[in-house]
Amino acid sequence: MTESPPLFVAEHLHKRFGDQVVLEDINLSFNAGSISGIMGPNGAGKSTCFNVLTGMYRPDGGSVFFDGEDVTGLAPERIVEKGISRSFQIMNLFDEFTALENIMVATNRVRHGLHRPFWDLRADSEISHKAAEVLAMVGLTGLENSLASDMSYGQRRALEIAVSLATEPRIVFLDEPTQGLGADGRANLADLIGTLQEKFTLVIIEHDMQFLFRLANRISVIHWGQIIAEGTPDELKANEWVRTSELGKMTTC
Amino acid sequence: MSDALLKVAGMSKVYTQGLLKKRQTFRLEADFEIEESRIVGVMGPNGSGKTTLFELITGSNQPTGGQVFCKGQNIHKVKYRLRDRMAIHYHQSYQVRHFSKVLPSFMLEKPNSQYPYIHLFDEPQFSTQDGYIGFMLDFFKKLRREGRLVFLCVHPQEPFHIEIMRSMCEEFLFVNAGKVSRASDYDGLLAVDGVRDYLGKLADI
Repeated sequence: MTESPPLFVAEHLHKRFGDQVVLEDINLSFNAGSISGIMGPNGAGKSTCFNVLTGMYRPDGGSVFFDGEDVTGLAPERIVEKGISRSFQIMNLFDEFTALENIMVATNRVRHGLHRPFWDLRADSEISHKAAEVLAMVGLTGLENSLASDMSYGQRRALEIAVSLATEPRIVFLDEPTQGLGADGRANLADLIGTLQEKFTLVIIEHDMQFLFRLANRISVIHWGQIIAEGTPDELKANEWVRTSELGKMTTC
Repeated sequence: MSDALLKVAGMSKVYTQGLLKKRQTFRLEADFEIEESRIVGVMGPNGSGKTTLFELITGSNQPTGGQVFCKGQNIHKVKYRLRDRMAIHYHQSYQVRHFSKVLPSFMLEKPNSQYPYIHLFDEPQFSTQDGYIGFMLDFFKKLRREGRLVFLCVHPQEPFHIEIMRSMCEEFLFVNAGKVSRASDYDGLLAVDGVRDYLGKLADI
């Protein structure tokens, strides 16, 4: 049996801000249908790495391949067209729009400049049907007509993920999705991400190790702008220091 | 014979005060050679010159005298922005100091490497709360296995800091009042003048 090549590959990524090296020789690969985690302490370079992988920053060296195609340095909108999508740590929702409308404005047909007034868009049954499907994926069915501003924090997080799914991506990058969520919210989000795995390849950036240990198939640890460790959750948990740390005590409970 | 990974040859750095009557405020001297890949522990009191030593090795700070050769190439003759392709200094953001550039870039050389092979870790944050410390230590060993030279500067405050240094480091440098002493193991380090005073109760753990 031959293994299929990874869906997403980053090779020798290098990035600097002025004199400071922020990413040094980053190599990553994500297999189709998997959940991958990227974790690291604050200031380790997680967000910069994410921004380079998703085309927000151009690397100073190295390459990014998606489905065998070199997508290094493509503009963010071109990256989205290829089937790569991302969520943001800071939520980018339109508060005065309903949940359904928030999805509709993110769909490809609307993004591709159908310069039609918005009331026309709402009458487009194909787009609203699609948007309703996306809402269902994140468990927000029934809230189609709720204003984003009226939704709970957890629901807004789910809606934010739904917005990133509206572009029909194949791989979705989630930037600190547990940010601001309590224990219940985290558990719900973990369930949601588990269901999304059937349809999408997922990459999650998190500083919550627990959350990643529970969800991810493979985790890369970033520090000093480099990958300092990688493996399955079990492999990483086998590290002596992880076992004796607070984290280790929690995960064995 | 291949060149040593790092050769610090008769290097000195002198800081002075005063324009007409120059008064020496600090002097750092170092002369040592490390042939091969290893993990070198660096200790010393605050203000003794540890960070200055690292800056001189990575070429961000210009020595007053002597040279630093990385795999045979004088790092202070390499283009400024490319010096971290040879030696790279990892520090806290508050430690970063900027120095004026002495020569224009076109007068300088290309580095002899694409990736850094001397890694200097300046007081990495070791906390036992999370598990990151374990990943960091594994990373130092990985760099060592890959044939690189690792400097690990730790200011020991807890017994486990000493345990880490004893188990990780294959030799030690002790920097005190601008003088750099070298010891081939932890017991040798304890015999160096001033080390016991510096470590206090932690020395005999």
